[in-house]
Amino acid sequence: MKTYEVFLKRAGKDPFTHAGALEAPDDDLALSFARDCYARRSEGEQMWVVAREDLLVADPTELEMADRAHRHNDGAFLRDLRQAGSSEPA
Amino acid sequence: MDDTGPVTAVEPTGDPAETLGARELVLALADDELCIGQNLGWWIAVGPFLEEDLALTSISQDELGHARALYGLLGDDIDAMAYGREPHEYLCAHITELPCHDWAETLVRHFLYDTAETVRWSALADSSWESLGAVARRALAEERSHLRHATGLLDRLLRTDAGIAHLLPLFDQLAPMAREIFDAPSGCSDGALVAAGVITCDFGNQLAQWQDIVGDALAKTGYQPQWAVADAEAAPLGGRAGRRSAHFAALHAEMVEVLSIDPSARW
Repeated sequence: MKTYEVFLKRAGKDPFTHAGALEAPDDDLALSFARDCYARRSEGEQMWVVAREDLLVADPTELEMADRAHRHNDGAFLRDLRQAGSSEPA
Repeated sequence: MDDTGPVTAVEPTGDPAETLGARELVLALADDELCIGQNLGWWIAVGPFLEEDLALTSISQDELGHARALYGLLGDDIDAMAYGREPHEYLCAHITELPCHDWAETLVRHFLYDTAETVRWSALADSSWESLGAVARRALAEERSHLRHATGLLDRLLRTDAGIAHLLPLFDQLAPMAREIFDAPSGCSDGALVAAGVITCDFGNQLAQWQDIVGDALAKTGYQPQWAVADAEAAPLGGRAGRRSAHFAALHAEMVEVLSIDPSARW
């Protein structure tokens, strides 16, 4: 059995989102099980099924960004400046 | 339309639903779907693995949906038609009444039934009974995924000696019984149904198409169902004439369990 990941897309502008995983002996049966496990209640009008082994998986250490506060600009600095009456940021 | 003038010519009613045997045909199909759906539903929580558990019960709900759509062509009180008739008033084929609580039996029955259904729905897709044709076209789309499930598993299992040894005897047992799916319901003449365009292929040709599909699926094993022997030896099962198999009573009791506790139950 191989593990597959299932992605569904609703009608409209929503993007594909991960629905879940399943195990199946081959690609055809993976599509079959994916329909019955994740899409039997019209959860999506399009479905992608991909073997987990075919996914490119990033190294989690490359994603450790919590300490990079400067990448989380919420606009407070500019807002505070403008509220203080100065239209020109320093 | 001016209808005050004298009637100069009597036109046929032209309603295909009034064709002799058309309602019996739809009733038989609906009863098949009801029994298959109920039997497949038995697998909830006891399937051999989680995905298969969900697949069988999802297919079960598809079949019950087909039953509802078909009963709906015949009247408004679907529960009364599905649950309220006497056993001899049901017209299902006996293969649909079998419990098949062994998974291999369920798989073989599922393959035989869904291949048969594909042939049967195809003969209805262009029906002159337009609402029946619409039900058939919708069902055909679902049958594709049912068949992918059935043939996907069957093909894999028939690649192994153990699978062949286990499954082929079940074809000996179940394939002759499944032939009955193509028996005409009582009071139903396929000549009249073809002439009226209710079905576009008579039962005999549907049966032949189905036997080819089953034969092709098994050809690589070198095995062929003994259709001729079954034809010569088997007494008619009579399911389409209202004769119920030994399994029907328990199946029906299970179906009506909720209604018998609370006749006003809604679900």
